[in-house]
Amino acid sequence: MTPNAASSSAPSRRSFLASSAVAAAAVAGGMPLLAACGGSDTGSREGTTSGKDAKKLLPAYVASNVVAPDIPARNGSALGFTAKLDLATLKTSVPKKLGKGGKVTVMSPFWGSPPKQGNAYYRAMNDLIGVDVVWQNQDGNTYDQKLGAVLASSDVPDVVVVPGWNMGGKIPSAIIGKFADLGPYLSGDAVKEYPNLAAIPTDAWQRSLFGGKLRGLPMPTPSAPSMVPLYRQDIFAKEGYELPKSCDEFMALAKEITNARAKRWACLDMKWTAFQAFGVLSGSEKPLGWNLVDGKLVNRIETEEFLEALEWSRKLFAAGVVHPDSKLGKNAPDPGPKFAAGEFLIYPNNISQWWGRTAEQATQNPEFKIWGMDVWGHDGGNPTLWAEQPAGIFAFVSKKASESVIRDVLAVANVTAAPYGTKEYMMTNYGVEGTHYTVKDGVPTKTDQGNIEVMNAYVMVASPAATIAHPDFPDVAKGQVEWQQRMGAFARKSSFWGMQITEPARYTNLSNDVEQLEDDIVRGRKKISDMQQFVSDWKSKGGDKLRDWYKKVLDDNGSAAS
Amino acid sequence: MSHSTVPRSRAEADPSGTTPAAPGTAAGPARKDPRGRPGLRARFRRDRLLLLMTLPALALVLVFNYIPILGNIVAFQDYDPYISDNGVVSILNSPFVGLENFRRIFEDSAFWSAVQNTFVLFALQLVLYFPIPILLALLINSVVRPRVRAVAQAVLYLPHFFSWVLVIAVFQQLLGGAGLLSQLLRQHGYDGLDIMTDPGTFKFLVTAQSVWKDAGWGIIVFLAALSSVSPDLYEAAAMDGAGRWRRIWHVTLPALRPVIALLLVLRVGDALTVGFEQILLQRDAVGPGASEVLDTFVWWNGVRNQDFGYAAAAGLIKGVVSIGLVLAANKVAHLMGEQGVYKK
Repeated sequence: MTPNAASSSAPSRRSFLASSAVAAAAVAGGMPLLAACGGSDTGSREGTTSGKDAKKLLPAYVASNVVAPDIPARNGSALGFTAKLDLATLKTSVPKKLGKGGKVTVMSPFWGSPPKQGNAYYRAMNDLIGVDVVWQNQDGNTYDQKLGAVLASSDVPDVVVVPGWNMGGKIPSAIIGKFADLGPYLSGDAVKEYPNLAAIPTDAWQRSLFGGKLRGLPMPTPSAPSMVPLYRQDIFAKEGYELPKSCDEFMALAKEITNARAKRWACLDMKWTAFQAFGVLSGSEKPLGWNLVDGKLVNRIETEEFLEALEWSRKLFAAGVVHPDSKLGKNAPDPGPKFAAGEFLIYPNNISQWWGRTAEQATQNPEFKIWGMDVWGHDGGNPTLWAEQPAGIFAFVSKKASESVIRDVLAVANVTAAPYGTKEYMMTNYGVEGTHYTVKDGVPTKTDQGNIEVMNAYVMVASPAATIAHPDFPDVAKGQVEWQQRMGAFARKSSFWGMQITEPARYTNLSNDVEQLEDDIVRGRKKISDMQQFVSDWKSKGGDKLRDWYKKVLDDNGSAAS
Repeated sequence: MSHSTVPRSRAEADPSGTTPAAPGTAAGPARKDPRGRPGLRARFRRDRLLLLMTLPALALVLVFNYIPILGNIVAFQDYDPYISDNGVVSILNSPFVGLENFRRIFEDSAFWSAVQNTFVLFALQLVLYFPIPILLALLINSVVRPRVRAVAQAVLYLPHFFSWVLVIAVFQQLLGGAGLLSQLLRQHGYDGLDIMTDPGTFKFLVTAQSVWKDAGWGIIVFLAALSSVSPDLYEAAAMDGAGRWRRIWHVTLPALRPVIALLLVLRVGDALTVGFEQILLQRDAVGPGASEVLDTFVWWNGVRNQDFGYAAAAGLIKGVVSIGLVLAANKVAHLMGEQGVYKK
């Protein structure tokens, strides 16, 4: 997607390392939307579904209280679990296998190197579920480049996972045309057959309504910001670097850190952090890029902040403080090894990397300590941040799938959505004891095999309410949740927050090239004036009409904006 | 080959009309060709086995080259492949938009930038890449010891079998901003080079990669042509006192001329195809401004943005221009007295 959207893919969700980080706050959020909305256009391909129409489709919510969180959700954060987990008394949330032994192929984005088919983790999961899940793991960074072709074929896998930021071009049309209506299996009380799915917060389900039908299985996410400027705390402490509090301070620090001769640069491309520091509306999904200002909808690309953020990011490249790999854009290699080697000290990425990198380096590199710095306002004040959607990644079932296949998929989802404190959660996120993790003093530690095999596969099918829990690194879990709560306090909801909106086909290509242009400008290949030209073309080619269209959606459905 | 030995038409080539026509080219009136060849039926009976043998190839061409041509119809539609599982049904149900896609293309600066990049790369590769296999072939041909020759050939051929992913990774490791060369320079107090991400020199980089990977492979055809030159000619020239360079100029190069002309025509016909995978892999490193060529433009808009009608229109334009180029190049080859790709 674009412009905006794909964008976020880049660093942002690049790394859904297995983890629990993906979870979501949800419970607290409730359903502001439902209360607010008016009509809708059910059945049609464009627009959104809300109000009474939505209510008929949404699954019932039945809370599950397995373990009480140590840090309750606040400011849109995830639930935090930091106390020691008693592995001996894990609860069972799926007492009897729901899978009927069928075979289900799943295509999903994967960040990192996919493990071999039929590895010990996949076998154990399939055994637990009672379904033979066959994974087609595709590179998550370039997933948008494959999705369109796969969906255009007549041979769509049984389940296709589609992140919201990959829903550019005609993908929304494909979702509506090619995927099954799960309503008959999940709407209302039907969901109670799958208790872990019933415990998924309603606003995550609200986002799973596509074209007037319940089609997606959501992965709930906290509405607190997810893009963290991650840094090497160990090296900062050793060198006495202080955390920056403004864009100028960051620039000064970056120059101090950089010593290309010794193969050290300050950071990677900081565009994502710059967008936060300057308060630019989210680019992760098209509707989030719009906000009502003084009665008029404004798109993120029309704002001054957007240009200023690009300009500042460009200056970092021009100053030579950015690692040369970043110039390669999406073709850049995985930042992990070079970050561990200290070739650069700061990079923005999804909060899940905070724990992922920690676990990866724990045994071989005990000095290594990654931490998240607070986002600063560009001028040194508090930042203005924008809330994330309550669910950003969805699993869809092919329209051609038989009822037994759909039932098997829901059996998979019911296991992967098991909450923290259950055997199913432990298996999904840590694998098999003795093989993928070892337990010492009651603390699970992932083995090398665990770090390779237990990655972001099964969590893609469905996840519990946003949860952060790392029994192996409780201090990281605490750091993550507290970061979310501090940053969540600065987060506002834009006009279309929480809605799943399908744009009319004639406008879908308007902003396809925004992200590319952003990256070109930041790397000095295009000028800010090129973006201004683009925006004026965008308006005349349909941007202004699209604004009117969105205004109507807003008038018809109300807003959750805060 | 001199001018006079090249037949200018079939009649000239075959004045008596006694030589049988080449199999598979059978055409003309059914019964008796006015030029005295056997009738169609007779020729069919005579060549039926040969014709039978061409059928599998013909079927492949039909299925994979001709039938897909019909799909070009989506260039005139706002094609949505997702409305049905069947491509044909999707085409039937997608709205026709006339020449709208073409109008958009001609207004799209990204398209013109892709056209420009394509032609610049083609011209550059023609000048810098095309002659290299010929030179290498001459070089290899001059090596007398068979063992040295075999090793040299193997070394030259090898990179052809590396995938582009590998070639670009190697270039990146050596010449990239954090690569060996840059780091060496930095350690000695110079600025690092960033050859891999410099849009200004990208066209030379792409050409250099192509030369490194495929120039060795390209010598095969030329070596074959060289082996057909009779040693008598060299001996005779040497007897007449021609030195090494004169022998190359007067014996070797004239022998290669038809092959060079043929390959040149084919290359020109392929002018708009200047590398897809290679460029796609480096598109993000320099940005589309410097790297987008027609093929990646089609890919980006079709596969990445699902704007299939638009992409098909761009592809159609490319196809039409390519046909024009082949015809023009062929004509030029004829004017130069060469056979070219085909003759009427």
